[in-house]
Amino acid sequence: MKEGKKKFKLTLHQRNSLKGLVFVAPFIVGVCAFFIFPIYMSLRLSVGKSVAIVGMKVSGWTLEHFIRAFVVDIEFLPTFGTAVQQTLTQFPLTIVLSLIIAVLLNRDIKCRGLFRVIFFIPFLLGSGEVMQQLINQGVDRAVLNIMDGRLIPYNVLSYFGDTIMDVVQTVLGVLVTVLWNSGVQILLFLSGLQSISPSLYEAAKIDGATEWELFWKVTVPMISPMLLLNIVYTLVNSFTNISNPLLTYIQTYGFTNAQFSYAAALGWIYFAFIGVLVAIVFAVMQKYMHTSEVEEVKKREHKHRVFTIEKAPKRTFD
Amino acid sequence: MLKIRWFRGQWLHITFSKVLLYVVMIILVCFTALPLIYLISTAFKPLDELFLYPPRFFVQNPTTKNFSDLVVSLGSSTVPFPRYAFNSIVITTIIVICTVIVSSMGAYSLVKLQPPGGVFLFNLILVALMFSPHVTKIPSYMVVNGLGLINTYGALILPNIAVAYNIFLIKQFMEQYPNELLEAARIDGAGEFRIFMQMVMPALKPATATLTVFSFVNNWNDYFSPLIYVTSQAMKTLPLALQTIGGGAAGMSVGRAGAVAAATFLMTAPTVIIFVIKQGQVMETMTYSGIKG
Repeated sequence: MKEGKKKFKLTLHQRNSLKGLVFVAPFIVGVCAFFIFPIYMSLRLSVGKSVAIVGMKVSGWTLEHFIRAFVVDIEFLPTFGTAVQQTLTQFPLTIVLSLIIAVLLNRDIKCRGLFRVIFFIPFLLGSGEVMQQLINQGVDRAVLNIMDGRLIPYNVLSYFGDTIMDVVQTVLGVLVTVLWNSGVQILLFLSGLQSISPSLYEAAKIDGATEWELFWKVTVPMISPMLLLNIVYTLVNSFTNISNPLLTYIQTYGFTNAQFSYAAALGWIYFAFIGVLVAIVFAVMQKYMHTSEVEEVKKREHKHRVFTIEKAPKRTFD
Repeated sequence: MLKIRWFRGQWLHITFSKVLLYVVMIILVCFTALPLIYLISTAFKPLDELFLYPPRFFVQNPTTKNFSDLVVSLGSSTVPFPRYAFNSIVITTIIVICTVIVSSMGAYSLVKLQPPGGVFLFNLILVALMFSPHVTKIPSYMVVNGLGLINTYGALILPNIAVAYNIFLIKQFMEQYPNELLEAARIDGAGEFRIFMQMVMPALKPATATLTVFSFVNNWNDYFSPLIYVTSQAMKTLPLALQTIGGGAAGMSVGRAGAVAAATFLMTAPTVIIFVIKQGQVMETMTYSGIKG
């Protein structure tokens, strides 16, 4: 950059943007090499007519892979449905439960650190091998056996009959799965909650707000950026989880059957679906998102570019 | 509401809502702690208890035989267990350090310096978030192969540095950093890099700590990259080793169930340790809140 300055004179604006580019350059390089090019290749694969496996040469243009997914393949749509249903049932539960837990943790509670660590541990075990192994052994369905029958004796349980037991076990199983998947969300909500200044609560309390009002009118608006982040994270995470049935399906085609083009086409269909879903979330959230103080300041700065020392902008609560 | 005389003349107030709070928390904790309890107790179970049905949560006769089994089961093969652990540690550490630096620099630039095309890049990041990595694995393999990185640490490290989620996370925090501080530093004559290192990075500590934990866990448990980028046994990492010990992808070999349980236990230990070390920082109140309030 210094040589550049000597050779040609850069304007202040040019120099600033150059600085920006220097900072972001490593990321751009990484993204280009390991994201944009692979994306391009997979797009090319999905519309390619013939693929030479050696050297990965793609030639010709066709849409037959996309048509095949919807018209010929009888397994694709049901698998797709299962994946979507699985995600849509678990994702609201995850968000609500993790928000509740985060709020509870943020209260004046003893051993808060311990609780936090425990809630986060399932995430540490990872969604990978370890978790899969535990689920294979039926841990999520065995909740009622926690104490090896000492807490609730087996005799009492059998008294209720099989149907009820099955329902109870399923509900508890879902609860456990959701709890295991909400480690990150709890953490993000917590860091959002802790960044809310206590003086806001104090002011609201002096004005006579109840706990309930405090939650809806102070907490929720203030953590709305985190809420958006969490919703996107949860959605994407559950759609791109290894245990997702559709991904297993795609993988079977891509790796086991070596039908690269078809696998790529399936991937793109799936991706388009997720994209639309997340776009909807963004559109809806943008409407309700509390415009944060930072953004207000940013807007003002755009108005008068010269730096001015301003008073803190007014916060409005509606 | 109940009042109990506590020591040193203090009163302990027990209200209904407090009791409820603790009860709810403890129930939730019970559910959440299940996998860990199960994991630990399984690692110490003797063979006959491993195959009990329905599975028992607590071990009756704890034994350390599983751990010696783990060493023995790999003793005859050319690659000892510590080698896998070494691979995992080296790879994960380098990835975490690099990704923290690269993501914070990128996020700083995108949010505060706003270079041309920054908005486009941010949209690209959002798109990247949604894209399932498995779909692009085959083309990624081509890139790695083209760079001649197959069977090297580079193949496992480089693709995992510029991750969209990481920069997204840091960016969320970066937006809350006040511009006034940056302007003040610029007026005082600080260079952009100095501002970044001495002002932005320390303030971002909670965010980078969070990122460290995320990135560590993800890459430590990453099963897919070593599976396709690496063919040599000596370069494989723990998640793959776990499967090798278990007897391949098809099914778990019965004889080594104990060794697998022990290996699983050993594999999860570092992630738990790093979280316990970092969790104070992760939760630390952001420095900016002092300015904000």
